[in-house]
Amino acid sequence: MSKPANDTLSVPRDPIRHANFSMPFWEGTREKKVMVQYCPRTKQYQWFPRPVSLFTARRDLEWREVSGNGTIFSYTIANVGNGPFRGHEPYLIALVRLDEGVNIMANIVKCDLDEIAIGMKVVPFWAPLPDGTNLLMFQPAA
Amino acid sequence: MALRDNAIVAYAEAKHEMRSGRDVWDYAGEILDALLERSGLERAEIDGVIFTPSATGAKTPMWSQSCLDYLGLETNFTDTTDLGGCSATGGIARAAAALDAGYCETIVLINADTPSTEDNLIMRSFHHEWADPEGLLGPPGAFGLLSRRYDHLYGLDLNALGKMAVAQRDHAVLNPNAVEKLRQPITVEDYINSRMIADPLRLLDCVMMCDGGNGFVMMSRKRAKEKGYSRFVVPTGYGERTNYKLSQNDLEPTESGHRAAGEKAFKQAGITPRDVGSFHPYDDFLIAMMIQLEMLGFCKPGQGAAFINETNLHFDGDLPLNTSGGQISAGQAGLAGGGTNLVEAVRQLFEEGGERQVKNIANALVTGIGWIPYGRNWGSSTALVLTPDA
Repeated sequence: MSKPANDTLSVPRDPIRHANFSMPFWEGTREKKVMVQYCPRTKQYQWFPRPVSLFTARRDLEWREVSGNGTIFSYTIANVGNGPFRGHEPYLIALVRLDEGVNIMANIVKCDLDEIAIGMKVVPFWAPLPDGTNLLMFQPAA
Repeated sequence: MALRDNAIVAYAEAKHEMRSGRDVWDYAGEILDALLERSGLERAEIDGVIFTPSATGAKTPMWSQSCLDYLGLETNFTDTTDLGGCSATGGIARAAAALDAGYCETIVLINADTPSTEDNLIMRSFHHEWADPEGLLGPPGAFGLLSRRYDHLYGLDLNALGKMAVAQRDHAVLNPNAVEKLRQPITVEDYINSRMIADPLRLLDCVMMCDGGNGFVMMSRKRAKEKGYSRFVVPTGYGERTNYKLSQNDLEPTESGHRAAGEKAFKQAGITPRDVGSFHPYDDFLIAMMIQLEMLGFCKPGQGAAFINETNLHFDGDLPLNTSGGQISAGQAGLAGGGTNLVEAVRQLFEEGGERQVKNIANALVTGIGWIPYGRNWGSSTALVLTPDA
């Protein structure tokens, strides 16, 4: 029998302390834009944000807006949650392979537990956070 | 001087206990005392010490000096090997390097942690910004993601995973130092029916935190012979890799640095996986052992389950696996936990395995796993080949 995953939207998440070099991502979420670091020397994207390129260890990184479209690379059904997630199980955590080639860890919402599958196409879903930024989640593509 | 010019002349291990109520330094003291007793050394002869980090001491910078103060030791070389679950095996390599360099002559390695009594572990890491908001349950969550991907690529054989769980539990029954409540046999069905934690990861896939300690005394092989030790264990091969292919975006989480670390350790020791007498892989999760079998070259990627299904993993079998029960069945003494796999390998090569003594003591292979990175398998991989002095 099909059972929906908890969308975790009611989870009182702890405030997130942002690294200065990840601010372009968080600022982008205010306008629901997915911003990802890009290494111009090697023409590759990298995730999560870092102070240097993962490919060259140099700092000439750019930020580029991407569509946020991707596919499920892997996922787990969280039957046990910690801290503010306790009592909100089961919920879905996935690694989403963006079309640009990076994997982002995110909650999957509007999805049944037996509906999620590796290879499923997903699009961004934005969950508002108290500081005006949005948490990047994903939902099945229409 | 080289790695194999060094010797482990003594080992010690405390009984693993859940919520012992004991201080972490009480374990460290117990190990130091036991090492002096076993080695016959005087305190004044110890001039080097290496510790593993500790979840209990995690809020404390200068952890090594803090420990040394309680232990009353005066040294020429002191360090903490900060490699998570690779700290114990990594410590052996670092101790050998310090002995080779002449920084010290007699070095003790002390691994003690009491996370089930006092856990002070706070991670300043990517988790805060990029995994905690998603509700990832630490290592089990990461291994849930890894297991699902393994299942997608190769299929998860629960019977093979369960077979490892059963073999290790049988070994824990024979190990008086294992956590007492884990010294009960289990079946493959018990494993399969255990509740889901991070689906497809089950409760009996996972380690359980406990308190414990273990340790070693090392010196040059030459000195060990001069001092008349009739038996000692020599590290003959070591490999270590951190962030294996980290900058490859499409790396599968089923790939680990044990491929590189194992190749190096086997080459240095002059053996192949086929020659391994007993195997003591770091076991935070069952699937980690299966992936290590694949990465170390016991079998091809995706063939781990087939290898397990056709291999007798008991202490008297073809490839004895974690003959003390490993961490999954003896308990994980926090960041000292890598020493649980290591101390059993050394014990077996001293032929002091008692009821669970392995037959083939030509060598033993011990591994480490340290740090769980973002969306991958593990950060550090170590492989250490040990050989009794010929």
